[in-house]
Amino acid sequence: MNKRRLALTIALTCVGLLLLGSFTAPERLSPVSGAEYALPMEAPPFGADARGRSLLGYALQGAQIVAGPAFLAAVLVGLLATLGGLLRCAGSERLVTIVNGFREVVGALPRMVVILVVALLTPPEWRGLGVLAVFWAILAAPGAIDEASAVASRIGGANFVEALRAHGFTRPRIYLYHIVALNLRPVIVRHASETLMQVVFLEVALSYLALASDEPSFTHLESFHSWADLLYMGYTSLILDVPTMHALLLGLGLVGVTAVLSVSVTASARAR
Amino acid sequence: MKQWWLQPMVRIGVALALPLAVPLIITYLIWALPGDPASIICPPELCGGTEELAKRWNLDGGPYQFYTAWMANAVTGEFGNSWRVLQGVPIAGLLGTALPNTVMLILLSLVPLVVFSAASSAGWLSPRLDPLFQTIGLVPAVVYGLVAAAVIQLTFGADAFTEDALRIRLLLGALVLGVADGALAGAVTGTRSLFDAERKQRYVGVAILRGETELSNTLPNLASALAGQLRARTLHLLSGAVIIEAVLQIDGLGDFLWRGTLKQDFGLVLATATGFAVVSAALLAFQGLLEIFVALHVRRSPAQVSIEEAA
Repeated sequence: MNKRRLALTIALTCVGLLLLGSFTAPERLSPVSGAEYALPMEAPPFGADARGRSLLGYALQGAQIVAGPAFLAAVLVGLLATLGGLLRCAGSERLVTIVNGFREVVGALPRMVVILVVALLTPPEWRGLGVLAVFWAILAAPGAIDEASAVASRIGGANFVEALRAHGFTRPRIYLYHIVALNLRPVIVRHASETLMQVVFLEVALSYLALASDEPSFTHLESFHSWADLLYMGYTSLILDVPTMHALLLGLGLVGVTAVLSVSVTASARAR
Repeated sequence: MKQWWLQPMVRIGVALALPLAVPLIITYLIWALPGDPASIICPPELCGGTEELAKRWNLDGGPYQFYTAWMANAVTGEFGNSWRVLQGVPIAGLLGTALPNTVMLILLSLVPLVVFSAASSAGWLSPRLDPLFQTIGLVPAVVYGLVAAAVIQLTFGADAFTEDALRIRLLLGALVLGVADGALAGAVTGTRSLFDAERKQRYVGVAILRGETELSNTLPNLASALAGQLRARTLHLLSGAVIIEAVLQIDGLGDFLWRGTLKQDFGLVLATATGFAVVSAALLAFQGLLEIFVALHVRRSPAQVSIEEAA
């Protein structure tokens, strides 16, 4: 099996796990008496928390919180990067100038500052990771647009399109196959998968900080549990000697799976 | 034809506008939301006497009146009092404590980035180490922050908020910021690729044949790009500082912004977001000024070559 196929297999497995988790997440986590602080071998597969609730439920609910918004953000960044590359090939100087201006303005402030201001200003009924993920994607888009545009310039931009037109190819084939699928694909996929990972980590970070402050998170409903809950349980095991180290390992494992997903998706789309 | 001064001047213009634009946008967004701003900021079910509070916070006269009054006070260093996080405490005092901590955290976290970038561009750092940096950079800041917080708690216990502990928090926070979220990997590979591409230029080879050094020739041409990279990395660090300050409980701009957002303290968020805008504007102005300096320097060069004298 070559490296790209291996990466694609790993990527599909990780995406499958994330989607499976999000679709099978329980509505509520029910405590089981006698299973408090159960280790993975006592309450398979991942053990239980201080109230005997299965850690598998935490993992599934966390997957449900992040899956939709993270994929939405990834698709949005991918589309904007594609647009950036195609605009360069279309040879529209005015549009390129507008995109550059957008990039300068959007890139002028730290992303997290914008995200927190958005979180503050979002009406309570709209609050959730979805809105934040869309804004994160908009903030991440300039880098993707810039790189896609640079790739399009390297292959010749408008001259490349004209050359292929002279060979008799149709415009849809040139733009969608030759430019997007063959040349822009690695850049688009890399930025999309990085954004996916960043949105998952953003949710974990915001939920962790909310937990540490003993406040409800603005990324999900109070009845749901994020992967940050697992990390927080792990933190208490480190400083208070509570027997929840298995929760920390599960939390770190989920963070690892997210990182592997991003890396493998990128590797599977790498140019030949 | 594009003028060389256009882009730096645009950057300086944006830098001047940014601290004015950020509070303006936030203010108008608050008024654009459905409902009364005073009720959004302080819902009647949480705060009693919303009308009275609206009058006190200057929210009863529309966005323009609020913005102009807030800006007029802000330029004199008066940001009002915290509404919820530390009720009644002057925000200017909080910012006075927070800004040095955030600046120190960012400067310390830039140290490894600059050192490793310089080492990689000079060829002292093997590209074979890149996968290691990239793997380390895959871990999010919150995970490293969690470990750092645990280390501080276990080391200092009840003394975790003393001056010594704050110094350790800053150092660990800077280390975390420097390596997490791909900061170090990006700095190393980004700087190396810039220098590698420039070294391949024909003029560098000619300069070396003339007996000049490689660095003195490449650096002026790369200075603008390096300044751009430095600004991007500093913005990245500022973004991460929000998380690290909150996790490690460092009283910085990011921590106050986080607490203000969580507690819906509009006054504190407005002031801290403006603080971040000022820092971002300073970075943008620095990049613009450096670009102007480099452009003037390149236009004066080569300063030491006189064809007439040589002839």
